Amino acid sequence: MHLAHLRLRDFRNYPRLDVDFIPGFHLLAGPNAQGKTNLLEAIYLLATLRSFRGVGGAQMIRHGQKGYFVGATLVGQTEQTVKMYWSIRERNLALNGQPVRKLTDYWGTVRAVVFCTEDLLLVKGPARTRRRFLDLLLAQTQPGYLPTLQRYAQALRSRNALLKQPAPDETALEGFTRELARLGAQIIQPRLDLLPRLAALAQSAYRRIAADTENLRLEYQPSVKQDMAVELAQARARERQYRLTLIGPHRDDLQLLLNDRPAGPFASEGQKRTVAIALKMAQAEYLTSLHGSPPILLIDDVMGELDRQRRAGLLPLLEEAHQARSQVFMTCTEQNWPRELGRALQGWQVHEGTLSPAA
Amino acid sequence: MSALPEPLNTLIAELGALPGIGPRSAERLALHLVQSDPQAVQRLAQSMVQARAQVQACQSCGGFTAQQPCAICQDARRDPSRVCVVERPVDILSLEKSGSYFGKYHVLGGRISPLNGVGPEDLEIQELESRLDREPIQEIILALGSDVESDATCFYLAKRLASRAVTVTRIAQGLPAGSGLDFADELTLTRAIEGRRSIR
Ligand SMILES: Nc1ncnc2c1ncn2[C@@H]1O[C@H](COP(=O)(O)OP(=O)(O)OP(=O)(O)O)[C@@H](O)[C@H]1O
Ligand SMILES: [Mg+2]
Ligand SMILES: [Zn+2]
Repeated sequence: MHLAHLRLRDFRNYPRLDVDFIPGFHLLAGPNAQGKTNLLEAIYLLATLRSFRGVGGAQMIRHGQKGYFVGATLVGQTEQTVKMYWSIRERNLALNGQPVRKLTDYWGTVRAVVFCTEDLLLVKGPARTRRRFLDLLLAQTQPGYLPTLQRYAQALRSRNALLKQPAPDETALEGFTRELARLGAQIIQPRLDLLPRLAALAQSAYRRIAADTENLRLEYQPSVKQDMAVELAQARARERQYRLTLIGPHRDDLQLLLNDRPAGPFASEGQKRTVAIALKMAQAEYLTSLHGSPPILLIDDVMGELDRQRRAGLLPLLEEAHQARSQVFMTCTEQNWPRELGRALQGWQVHEGTLSPAA
Repeated sequence: MSALPEPLNTLIAELGALPGIGPRSAERLALHLVQSDPQAVQRLAQSMVQARAQVQACQSCGGFTAQQPCAICQDARRDPSRVCVVERPVDILSLEKSGSYFGKYHVLGGRISPLNGVGPEDLEIQELESRLDREPIQEIILALGSDVESDATCFYLAKRLASRAVTVTRIAQGLPAGSGLDFADELTLTRAIEGRRSIR
């Protein structure tokens, strides 16, 4: 599948943009602050309905405007259209002219994986970042996962509110506990099932791009040993003290180990960056193996920051996307242009919120 | 801001405070009213005042009624051994429209919602228990939604009524996940009632 047409209105620094993209490589070149990352952000938004910069919708509205519009035509076996409008008062999402009722009906329409500087948070950031990485991948690949996750979050909020009360009604608490444990198991299990595949892909990706010979291992670190219902009951006394639900998939972590040591506190900056890229490569390869076609790859600056050897490790993935008539969108400033990608490139010049084919 | 006479502005504000009526509709309705036959407006105002004065919650089941107890509670043809527990009075209307239920009702007046500060003591549960003492009830059918709070409320009720000589069932979960009864169509509701299951 590829993004054949992109339309932006008042999105970031783009007042209006209408552009056609063919399958294959697209290099978005231009000096700083012209709108290269903003364009990737719009494509990512089509895939996940959120920004990879971790901001809300309001920041993406062009300064001084009411709302943004992002529209797309997607071509695969069929042709699909997406229209998205977002303002403080109004949110519309339409797929093929029909309003989207439930987000789960929309998920999977566009699949994209982004490589960006924020990825470093996967290694340096709190456990929440890594849980979100797993959840996003599962939501993209398993139909029931997102609704379960949302319901779990609801049960968790209710239960925590109850625990905050001076003397919570124990039977009412039990009602929410049962629900939380039931849903919790439905979140932990798919995460555990995903892990061996993902870990193997991340390990081999690390081996391909790393300058060192260290071994990357992924380990799911559950806060629940066996039975969440039983362990919640055991944690009741501590919960009374903290007035908070202390165990469950919302407290789990994905451990990233380099030669058996946690990468966060022990790895060098370069190693951390490599681990983050390996995770994203694993995500892209997992999606490819599951759907038989690669996702759209959005690569922001990362290539330029890597040395030649690590870049070479990334190339097969890009090559594959190219072969399968998917797309790769890559940004660069003129100085960090990755020369080994010289062939079959569609070049674009990005200038103050406009896009023009490079000569 | 506007050159409208004060009483008209007041009317627009009052109408606009009603659910489902935005500023544009409020203005349209108000302009219509001030240009209508005074008698028709009188009748409208009268019917609003009367309806509000006369429609009360049934002291037994909590449904809408103009008499005590309500027509459903009084109806000797309805099965007194079954009581269907709903969240709000309007849910009774949905179930009545489905035409598949011939027992009595009981309105809880909400569901357990810690995030909104609603606990079991805020619901009409004691009243339900005292009905169990007075009336020949054999089955309590819980017809709540399928969201997290409704689930927890059903669990709570089943547990609290466990010591009573009464079967507690819950309507089948054919309802769209996370929604209340008013989103379900009549056929779905009929199936949900037929497919109810004991939750003990
Ligand atoms: N909501 C917004 N409305 C208008 N302009 C915005 C908005 N958000 C960001 N910008 C502008 O967009 C520009 C940055 O765009 P972007 O991040 O895409 O740059 P870039 O081309 O990727 O640059 P770099 O090479 O430095 O990463 C900045 O000039 C910024 O002020
Ligand atoms: Mg940028
Ligand atoms: Zn009644």
